[in-house]
Amino acid sequence: MNAPIIEVNLIFWVVLGVWMGEDPLQGDFPEVIEEFLQHGNMKCIAFNRRGTLLAAGCANGSCVIWDFETRGVAKELRDKACVAPITSVCWSKYGHYLLASATDKSLTLWNVVNGEKITHITLQQTTLHARLHPGSCTPSLCLACPLSSAPILVDLNNGTSTVLPVSVTDNTNGNAVSHPRNKFSDSSLPFTPTAATFDKHGDLIYLGNSKGEILIVDPKNVRVNALIPIPGGSVVKDIVFSRNGQYLLTNSNDRVIRVYESLLPTKGAAKELEIMSDTDDKFPRIEKLKEVGTKCLRLSREFQDAVTKIQWKAPCFSGDGEWVIGASASKGEHKLYIWDRAGHLVKILEGPKEALIDLAWHPLRPLVVSVSVAGLVYIWAKDYTENWSAFAPDFKELEENEEYVEREDEFDLMPESEKVKELVINQDEEVDILTVEKDSAFSDSDASQEELCFLPAVPFPDPEQQDKCLGSSLKLGDSNHTGSPFSVEAAQNGQAILPASSPLEVVGNSTPEEAVGTAGMKRKRKPSAKGMELQAEKGRKPQTKNKSSGKTSKPRSRSGDGIDTNGSVLEDDVTDEYL
Amino acid sequence: MPEMASAEPPSTAAALSQPYVLHQTLTGHERAVSAVKFSPDGSLLASASADKILRVWSTTDFSLRAELSGHDEGISDLCFSSDGRYLCSASDDRTVRIWDLAASAAVKTLTGHTNYVFCCSFNPQSNMIASGSFDETVRVWEVKSGKCLRVLPAHSEPVTAVDFNRDGSLIVSSSYDGLCRIWDAATGHCVKTLIDDESPPVSFVKFSPNGKFVLTATLDSTLRLWNFSAGKFLKTYTGHVNSKFCIPATFSVTNGKYIVSGSEDNCVYLWDLQTRKIVQKLEGHADTVIAVSCHPSQNMIASGALGNDKTVKIWVQKSEGQLKD
Repeated sequence: MNAPIIEVNLIFWVVLGVWMGEDPLQGDFPEVIEEFLQHGNMKCIAFNRRGTLLAAGCANGSCVIWDFETRGVAKELRDKACVAPITSVCWSKYGHYLLASATDKSLTLWNVVNGEKITHITLQQTTLHARLHPGSCTPSLCLACPLSSAPILVDLNNGTSTVLPVSVTDNTNGNAVSHPRNKFSDSSLPFTPTAATFDKHGDLIYLGNSKGEILIVDPKNVRVNALIPIPGGSVVKDIVFSRNGQYLLTNSNDRVIRVYESLLPTKGAAKELEIMSDTDDKFPRIEKLKEVGTKCLRLSREFQDAVTKIQWKAPCFSGDGEWVIGASASKGEHKLYIWDRAGHLVKILEGPKEALIDLAWHPLRPLVVSVSVAGLVYIWAKDYTENWSAFAPDFKELEENEEYVEREDEFDLMPESEKVKELVINQDEEVDILTVEKDSAFSDSDASQEELCFLPAVPFPDPEQQDKCLGSSLKLGDSNHTGSPFSVEAAQNGQAILPASSPLEVVGNSTPEEAVGTAGMKRKRKPSAKGMELQAEKGRKPQTKNKSSGKTSKPRSRSGDGIDTNGSVLEDDVTDEYL
Repeated sequence: MPEMASAEPPSTAAALSQPYVLHQTLTGHERAVSAVKFSPDGSLLASASADKILRVWSTTDFSLRAELSGHDEGISDLCFSSDGRYLCSASDDRTVRIWDLAASAAVKTLTGHTNYVFCCSFNPQSNMIASGSFDETVRVWEVKSGKCLRVLPAHSEPVTAVDFNRDGSLIVSSSYDGLCRIWDAATGHCVKTLIDDESPPVSFVKFSPNGKFVLTATLDSTLRLWNFSAGKFLKTYTGHVNSKFCIPATFSVTNGKYIVSGSEDNCVYLWDLQTRKIVQKLEGHADTVIAVSCHPSQNMIASGALGNDKTVKIWVQKSEGQLKD
């Protein structure tokens, strides 16, 4: 029952697609780096459920929450006790809590809204991946995959942990715990982490062990209920579900990403599984588990790069499950490979020469976020071509020249058909201005529980100084700020405390201010080609050109410069919006 | 000054069962009032004026809570944030200012527009502000840092109104060039342009509460309700006078569905949403009614008028449990 291995050959598929009249390279997947975010040294990222907030764990133990709509820092979660680099971050289902695991063997649960630490637990080993139970709004259970032993279920309330079984032998009842000692073929790590994940609602845990088997474990009684051997039998490094819970992918040491279709229902899977596995005891245990396993997962596709045999890193699905993305960090490169679920490689994106360490696909939009070893977060998005008919709906866009055939009476002095037709609009129809439709992208938008979609934005007060000297807290390392008269690196002491009783007379004058927020934060945008032209036209300092293809070198910063003293022209970041 | 409830077509079904009557007149502005808005929780009313000052009133006793000064020129528009803690105002001094109501002071000045800023709006998440200006652009600002996130090349004439839809994903802008444009708030790309056969200057635009429709006011004394995804208008409301000023209109949904608008004949007009008939004309102002706002939960309308009047008037619907004194 092996699915055919789809060998990667981009040219073949392109030719085939073009011959068949469709462009396999077009689709809802990103194409270029749009922007990068920098705040400290970020190591791992996670989107919240709606993709409005991006949490990033940093090397200094703090977690930064980015408001993804404004691409600014919304909150920073910091604590004196947490100083070790973060290895993974995970949101609770409705975004109120964030779980961070760090290299000092600890797990920290944060309350996102008030920025306070709720629990801090120290385990036996450093956790590489920690996941909160996805089914509940106030999760107390989390799955931690440590560096060198079996995954454990941790109860965050009392700190107890339960070790999960990682393999099944015939003469036990499935609760054996073994410590796999297989090496990776590139012998980078002596021990093997076993990958594990919850299913969509947290009813079941799917483990990928070092023998190349997928075990389905019921977390309630910690029992292995099914076993699916992966062809090739090599160590499983990652195991990830798609957002809708219908597809599962495994990344194995044999450099193959395999996509399975889940045959169990997304809700109530544990019950179904129990029924299936309890039927009879005639067969030996392993055979029974394998038989049940065939009813749970079905291998759908395998992806690999036959030419360069890449060890994949951080593979995951797109938000709608249509695309699979895997990254290559070999030799310090930053490459993203995107396949469609049918197995065709549709895109290879190449980033700057900084090895990739983490990857996430936006839950709703064709956007991918990748973290490089330099601590920067790159945002990949579709290359947008302006839709001109949106600006002028009475014009028609043509792909190529068409011969225009005029109407019989078009050039008559008094053409018959050009008399203004009375627009017959039935104005008496009922119009409903209040009903809101349910969001189809989210199957279980529970209206009773308030989801945290955004953090309240507190405007950072402008510095109140008489001489209006702009204290810029932007640390301008390599950026071209020489054109700006305001790159004064005055020490800005942040909050201007305004007395609550008296209304402060803010004396406005013609000098514009641009107070930029938190120290150490840079937001840079890659200028588009057109933006470059505009820059050149205005006689400003020329910037290095960046090609708008998949390849980019590190974009230069153009934040916050060019303020003329009379305030009439403000060149700001986003000239790529000028047309 | 008793107010008369007059319905244009003599039909009993069209008139309001409980007409709105004048409840309070708020004085204090020294020049024309340009905008009035209720806070999202209904506890405050803010008014902006050409006298460069914003006034914040309580809606329980209509006492003056705060006077916010700081703009160098007159103010054209104002907007509350969703939590009611902040106000943003658009002024002829080319800036948008964010005011902290707890401190009664300005916390941020957003500079960048190169001409009068005419309209401003918070998004529902209140982490962004959109502003439209006489420099023909719409700018999107980040509230937290004051940075200009985007400059949308919106129109070829002054931008008269901007509004976000209910989930903050779309921005609609209108302009004297006769167009309404709808923009994707996340990317700044134009999604749609609404254009009519004749294109009179569009003086105001606003999303319906569910974000599916757009209400436009044009300087030919017409209000239209459009289904913007289809690009067709569904309803037309006429009977008032609007050919010179940018008079906003709004939806009244607390007690039946109505469209409320000011008018250059010094009255506030109310139309029934579905039948398009005028159900009431509120008279009492001495100059063009340039601003209207509906209370989010109570049957209360606030209106502000130009220089000969300079007052904000509060109208309520007197019903059994609702007498406010």
